[in-house]
Amino acid sequence: MAAVADTQIVKAPRRAARQGAPRAGTAWRWVVLLIAAVFFLLPLIVALRFAGIKAFGSVVSEPGFTSSLGLSVRLAVVTTVITIVLMLPTTVYVHLRLPGIRRLMEGITILPIVIPPVVLIVGVLQIAPGSLKGTPYLLGLEYVVLAMPFAYRAIDAGLRSLDLKTVTEASNSLGAGWVSTMLRVILPNLRTALLSAIVLTVALVLGEYTMASLALYQTFPVWIYVNSQTSGQVSVAASLLALFVTWIFLMGITVLGTRQSRRTGGGSVTLFTVARQETRGN
Amino acid sequence: MTTNTARDATAADGTRQMTEARGTSVVLQNLSRFFGATKALDGLSIDMAPGELVALLGPSGCGKTTALRIVAGFEIADTGSVLIDSKDISSVPAAKRDMGMVFQSYSLFPNMSALDNVAFGLRMRKVGAGDRRKRAGELLDLVGLAPQAKQYPHQLSGGQQQRVALARALAIEPRVLLLDEPLSALDAKVRLQLREQIRTLQQRLGTTTLFVTHDQEEALSMADRVGVMNKGKLEQIAAPDELYDHPATAFVAEFVGVMNRIPAELQGGGMVTALDSTVPVRGEAPDESTSAVDVLVRPEGLTMAVIENGNGIVTTRTFLGSVTRVAVLLSGDVTVQVDKASSEAGALAPGTSVSVTLPSEPVLIAPRS
Repeated sequence: MAAVADTQIVKAPRRAARQGAPRAGTAWRWVVLLIAAVFFLLPLIVALRFAGIKAFGSVVSEPGFTSSLGLSVRLAVVTTVITIVLMLPTTVYVHLRLPGIRRLMEGITILPIVIPPVVLIVGVLQIAPGSLKGTPYLLGLEYVVLAMPFAYRAIDAGLRSLDLKTVTEASNSLGAGWVSTMLRVILPNLRTALLSAIVLTVALVLGEYTMASLALYQTFPVWIYVNSQTSGQVSVAASLLALFVTWIFLMGITVLGTRQSRRTGGGSVTLFTVARQETRGN
Repeated sequence: MTTNTARDATAADGTRQMTEARGTSVVLQNLSRFFGATKALDGLSIDMAPGELVALLGPSGCGKTTALRIVAGFEIADTGSVLIDSKDISSVPAAKRDMGMVFQSYSLFPNMSALDNVAFGLRMRKVGAGDRRKRAGELLDLVGLAPQAKQYPHQLSGGQQQRVALARALAIEPRVLLLDEPLSALDAKVRLQLREQIRTLQQRLGTTTLFVTHDQEEALSMADRVGVMNKGKLEQIAAPDELYDHPATAFVAEFVGVMNRIPAELQGGGMVTALDSTVPVRGEAPDESTSAVDVLVRPEGLTMAVIENGNGIVTTRTFLGSVTRVAVLLSGDVTVQVDKASSEAGALAPGTSVSVTLPSEPVLIAPRS
């Protein structure tokens, strides 16, 4: 989760500054930005000094590094795919046909945040069929639940800025069936929202520790923790490396999504993608 | 109410403009639609001739949009049917109805350029890339937006977006064009231009068009016939001048144009007395028991002369160009609007005593409100 916090918070002040309020606020903004920068960067710099450059080289050859990172990446992919495949049609359907239950959906989707992960994983381990318990993909299914609040909100915000009903009806009246409407009209306009959902889901999976450790799988965060018991420097180097890799990955998605949506008048990829609304209603 | 008589009268008059036979005929047959206990649409029947532009006019919630959405296939009627060229299309899904629709809110696909928006319907009809670009280009040209072909919706003004939406609806050469308050989100000047543009295009292409609006000026200026709706029912459908001059019901009379209500007394034999004169009642006279009635007269229907100790006093004068609208206070605290040629209105300063008289032709009456 550290990676998400990082990208979002660094972005926010920059956006605010661009929209520009008079001078008095500007100085304050820099002060806040500076404090935030110190708050977030100082631990990183300290960690970097502690680990030393050499430790980075040995991380890769450390036993378990490749397999745990590989597992985390696979879980990230599986979780993201299942999340999108489940949440996208559901959210679209709720918007079009059952707008009355949107509030209920919001309530339900917030549950995984309210319920502690420990409770979730213990519960699931009790009832999960044996065939699933033996594979790490049980964890993937858990992560789908954990990612639901973020994915739902990102997609929901994207749909709300689209005027889904009108656009869908326009597409229908022009002769497009449901599949064409979904693929050619709805999906392309949700690109930004979907990227947000993906970014959040991936970041969540790559950073999740509690569930993985309780379910006894050595995902990357678990490996880092286990390793820190034996070699402090290497494990700090590994966390930093993970942070940078995740960060670069997320920035990549963000830049990609923003470039696409700027062309069509959408906003940048941000936490809940509401920026798009600003540019539409003229 | 008087729907049928009005419709028959219109048909008999031949006021319906039979443009050319290339358009499609549309028949709405006894459409009803309930939302819970509310009757959104109550037995609506309209015959549209090929190439005709019919406007449905009425206050919000009168069922006009529901009617349009049933024709488009977005709503299903509880009873009744929609016939296109005499074929019942009630079971045909919206995507297969071949209807071009322009929506009230901006409905362009934000991810496509203006050209791609217009070409979308053709793409769905599997028209080749070259052909559809060419035709989409022609249509954009038709609505005067060829230079904006490559722009995205968010780069276009509201009026431009609606023109692209119109081009997009026309690109599929629809059998019927459906316009759902397409101008209501635009500012007055753009609205006026676009109104003319839509009408000119519609006549040129001869596309049968159903146009829903709450703006009477729009309906009267654009439509061949205007259907006035109230509470899910069609009150009257007639050519604009017919509707204005001979409203079939009190609702139509007051909804379309400016209407004076003058307290009157019902006499026997279909006569009514108001402003010291007795004139015949137009249409069906209510039975004698309804005593409290108002006479409905338009500002240009009343005559007025300056006279000492008349029945009214001028309170205000509003210059409207060739005519001046004069507000006259009558006894009993009733104010009426009277139109006078501006050249003759000079003597009508506020405070002037005048005499206001009813027209001699039959007048419309309504229960006193």
